[in-house]
Amino acid sequence: MTLPPEAGAEAEAAIPEAVLAGAGPTEGRSLGQIAWLRLKRDKVALAGGAFLIFLILVAIFAPLIVKYLGYPPNEFHQELIDTAGGTLTPIGRFGGMSWDHLMGVEPVNGRDIFSRIVYGSRISLLIAFLATLLSVLIGTTLGIVSGFIGGWTDTFTSRLMDVFLAFPLLVLAIALAGVFPDQAFGLQGNQLRIVMLIFIIGFFNWPYIGRIIRGQTLSLREREFVESAKSIGARRGYILRTEMLPNLVAPILVYSTLLIPTNILFEAALSFLGVGVRPPTPSWGGMLSDAVVYYTQPHFMFWPGMAIFVTVLAFNLFGDGLRDALDPRANR
Amino acid sequence: MFAYIVRRLLWSVVLLFVLSVVVFSIFYLIPRLGGATPETLAARYVGRAATPETVHLTAERLGLLDPVPVQYWHWLRGVFVGAEYDYGSGSEHCPAPCLGYSFITKQPVWPELLDRAPVTISLVVGASLIWLIAGLTVGVISALRRGTVFDRGAMGVALAGVSLPIFFTGLIALAFFSYKLRITAPGGTFVPFSESPWRWAYSLLLPWITLAFLFAAQYARLTRAGMLETMTEDYIRTARAKGLPERTVILKHGLRGALTPVLTIFGLDVGLLLGGAVLTEKTFSLNGLGKYAYDGIVNNDLPKILGVTLLAGFFVIISNLIVDLLYGVIDPRVRLE
Amino acid sequence: MNHSRSWRARSLAAVGVSAALLVAACGGGGGASNQQGSSNQGSQAAFNAGSTSIVNPSDKKGGTLKFANEGDWDTLDTGETYYAYSWNFARLYGRSLMMFKSAPGKEGNQLVPDLAEGPGQASDNAKTWTYKLRQGVKFDDGTEVTSADVKYAVLRSTDKQTFPNGPAYWDALLDLPSGYKGPYKSPNANTDSAIETPDKYTVVFHMKKPFAAFDYLAQQPNTMPVPKDKDTGAKYRNSVVATGPYKFADVQPGKSFNLVRNDQWDPATDPNRKALPDRIEVSLNVNADDIDNRIISGDLDVAVTALGVQPAAQSRVLQDPTLKENADNPLGVRLWYTSINPTVPPLNNIECRKAVEYAMDRTSYQTAYGGQFAGGDLATTILPPSVPGYQAYDLYPNGQDHKGDLDAAKKSLEACGQPNGFQTNIAYRAERPKEKATAEAFQQALARVGIQLTLKPYPQGDYFAQYAGLPPYVVKNKLGLALNGWAADWPDGFGFLSQIVDSRVIRPTGGSSNTSVRIPEVDQMLDKALTELDTDKRNQDWAAIDKRVMEEAVIYPGVYSKSLLVRSKNATNIFVTDAYGEYDYLGLGAVK
Repeated sequence: MTLPPEAGAEAEAAIPEAVLAGAGPTEGRSLGQIAWLRLKRDKVALAGGAFLIFLILVAIFAPLIVKYLGYPPNEFHQELIDTAGGTLTPIGRFGGMSWDHLMGVEPVNGRDIFSRIVYGSRISLLIAFLATLLSVLIGTTLGIVSGFIGGWTDTFTSRLMDVFLAFPLLVLAIALAGVFPDQAFGLQGNQLRIVMLIFIIGFFNWPYIGRIIRGQTLSLREREFVESAKSIGARRGYILRTEMLPNLVAPILVYSTLLIPTNILFEAALSFLGVGVRPPTPSWGGMLSDAVVYYTQPHFMFWPGMAIFVTVLAFNLFGDGLRDALDPRANR
Repeated sequence: MFAYIVRRLLWSVVLLFVLSVVVFSIFYLIPRLGGATPETLAARYVGRAATPETVHLTAERLGLLDPVPVQYWHWLRGVFVGAEYDYGSGSEHCPAPCLGYSFITKQPVWPELLDRAPVTISLVVGASLIWLIAGLTVGVISALRRGTVFDRGAMGVALAGVSLPIFFTGLIALAFFSYKLRITAPGGTFVPFSESPWRWAYSLLLPWITLAFLFAAQYARLTRAGMLETMTEDYIRTARAKGLPERTVILKHGLRGALTPVLTIFGLDVGLLLGGAVLTEKTFSLNGLGKYAYDGIVNNDLPKILGVTLLAGFFVIISNLIVDLLYGVIDPRVRLE
Repeated sequence: MNHSRSWRARSLAAVGVSAALLVAACGGGGGASNQQGSSNQGSQAAFNAGSTSIVNPSDKKGGTLKFANEGDWDTLDTGETYYAYSWNFARLYGRSLMMFKSAPGKEGNQLVPDLAEGPGQASDNAKTWTYKLRQGVKFDDGTEVTSADVKYAVLRSTDKQTFPNGPAYWDALLDLPSGYKGPYKSPNANTDSAIETPDKYTVVFHMKKPFAAFDYLAQQPNTMPVPKDKDTGAKYRNSVVATGPYKFADVQPGKSFNLVRNDQWDPATDPNRKALPDRIEVSLNVNADDIDNRIISGDLDVAVTALGVQPAAQSRVLQDPTLKENADNPLGVRLWYTSINPTVPPLNNIECRKAVEYAMDRTSYQTAYGGQFAGGDLATTILPPSVPGYQAYDLYPNGQDHKGDLDAAKKSLEACGQPNGFQTNIAYRAERPKEKATAEAFQQALARVGIQLTLKPYPQGDYFAQYAGLPPYVVKNKLGLALNGWAADWPDGFGFLSQIVDSRVIRPTGGSSNTSVRIPEVDQMLDKALTELDTDKRNQDWAAIDKRVMEEAVIYPGVYSKSLLVRSKNATNIFVTDAYGEYDYLGLGAVK
């Protein structure tokens, strides 16, 4: 009953393939299993997914990695900087790259770029994941509620989404981050800042998911299986839980995965504009912002820029693959 | 139809109110969480030789001593009927819409906004035309030649495009094309259209392309997905069976159906960009609304921020309205409720 | 193996080209600038020649000079402007009672009479000062300048409601009637107790307390006359009436303004100015990197704020000998320092403060600010060398390499009862990358003796009003160290020291730059120095105050600020004036 009718011919075509592939005696496959099979065949998406797992591991094991492969992220190495000539740029080619400092060092203070990139992944991923979670929670709840119940609730929620979408988001985010006090709600310093960033990014982005979920809910609501459930007297709660929610898992999953890269870019933009996490905590956007003044020597911009790029690319690839796998109508 | 437009316009006005209230709250209520008082707020707008008396006088002059709702009321009244500005040795009338005087430069905000709007509008209009045409073209061709090298290549580049932060691509492009190769204009050299159309286009070439690259990628992907969906529909087969030339089939029947999501996003994107291309303007040093907003924020110059936010909100709302009206033209299935 | 030769050649070429591009990028474009350098006609002077001599001397009149400002001008209204570059520039369109001589190096520190015929005459124990004005000086509309105009200019600058950003010396020192709110709000007040104009060409100032260095007050741009009938208060900044050799044309607020010759300026009344260029064009809000590139390529003549080139251009200039020859490295009138706040334990114990003085690595302070060229010289005193009264001494030697004397630091820590170090916070202005780098440098350096610092950035707009300058906040948030800097309003001991070592400027409501110096003996020394009419003796008094403050270890001097400036290809008479630590804008001429 959790198989949407529009799975139709595609789903049926998938089953014989699985049989041909020697999957054993014929048995019904859940959407999840079909999706997983499809995903396995999509090499590019798998590559993206593998990179993401790698990135998450790097973020979790950052202290260990840095201990063996780099130097502490905030440690100065001014002996590697050209103080005598006064240019304050790293001595040596490519920004001071060497076996000791795999990605070179920063100008002026000589901090190891490799370890700063590794630690920076923690900030980017943490904020992006939690902000997406916040967006998804708010967006899904409001989307389902307004789509399912309809009427005034729906109108009100849609108007609310309009309001949020009309905000010049970046401007307000900068303004908010700028006036936020240094301590409030029992937190202070960087902890407060991170919470604030998660809140700003997550809270203002919920209409993105909200709109999509609302749309899906609206169309699901008209389906025969929902009608039939209603006709046998099922209550709203039951319908929501057993009929609607499982079918919404797919779009929620897909659009969450696609929202994460947007949030990574958003956080990078806020750090770039100077309202992200406070120094000396490394963050990719902040490193990019620091590197701007040395624009004639692009190596300093290269590493944080590539880090953002590759991460976002991986999420996009994986998200695309996930969407293609979960949406039976999509033709690859 | 007419009733619909009127209703939307009324709703737009409400939205603008809400926006202005939100901005006011951010500036006056959030700092209170950290224990700020009107005096401490006023301290940002005085020089380094300020005494407590000076700070108090400034707080008085800027109206910071009034309760927040009263300040909001004064500002609102100024928007509709204008206000009096006391410049010391006299006062002048600031005609409606009077969005206040900058706390820092003491210049009226509305004329400054009008002055900077053309820069942002030039940037956005130019870039949006480029990305729309490029994105649609690439998307259509990719959809038609699905699975070919062109398709994979184009989609790969598109994926790269949406994954790069604009300030990164912008900076690299600036460093490379403007400063190293010297083939495009360096940052901050905007020439108004009225002065010289050619130089106007030349000064905006790099920002246009950089911005368009980012969006064209999105639109290519979107168009391709939409085209793939519509081209399998039955009515396409019918059209072909009718003997219509392929081009008509693709453009008039196929593309049209795929346009709806593209249009939605286009309206939203243009609206948002008009109000705040902060990153692009900062990267290329263009004196547009985005940079104005950013400068206002770093200096805590509330009238500037209010002005830009409202103008931005206005652009978003208008573009959404236009898009919704265009729906009816493009997709006859859509009924405007 | 089986690849055709042309394929391999092409691919190698492609690799070669990309590698070349990458190398060129890393090299900072050395090739291109070499070509520019060799075509540079005129100035073959050496690096930093402008600091002590005139580069490209010429008396040729005519031409246009192009200035650019990376931000907005603070204000063109001489009654409110408060930036050194603006004071330097204002001499082009305004004449104050006294002015700094337009001459290179130390000579630029001399005060010469401008609107006045001679230096002020003191009486009544230096509480009354009299100036006689030159006759025949006119505004740009032809009306003659009289003493009433000077009085009006000074009085309007005391209106802090209309002009909150300007200097406040007149408000504090003139004997104004109580409750006086300036000429707009108190038009009928009798202000003769503060300023008298017994006749058309005489101005008499009455001060509340003796002030021996009055000529310095008289050189402020707010003594430049303002005609009362043309005064438009806060809007006057867009339509300033000129008394100098140039007047305003085409003012576009926030964008640009131009100066053209003032035909009402009579050179016979003005022995101080040469007024060589015909026209001066100033662009505002130009991208900083752009300014550097354009000056190097010759499109622009002066970066008016004189803060120094951006890091990208800095690398280029320092690495290319031809460009370096064409650059100057003037010493400013500014000290970058860090306040060590004795209100935050354990820094209330002088030995703990001394530990900080010994442990810090001064070279990393210098590097954080931009190195020896763009940052400054290592500082060990409060007064910079460019201020008369400076005496060199070092109370807390930090090793031959100046990276800190860790043994002395550890001994001090033991003496103050914290042998393993202690924990405190260091405040700095979030928007200033150099301060951020310095705070990080402190963190690293002091950690070597166990002093753990936590970085606390604050917005620069509120920094003194709300955070580092608000005494209760400092104590509550344990801001043991606070990054600071001070540029004197004018190069004299009073101008430099009064705002940063006088304990009476510290207010419980915040706002003062002095966050740490509370020494009653120093306050008395300051008052006494102001009554000393002999300049040399007075300068020695300032030096004594400097040393006394350093003995308390409440200030950690970082660097005497320097900036890296590039000379224009189009300008003549390029020299640095010690009065402002910038190129003298009054002396510049144009080639074309």
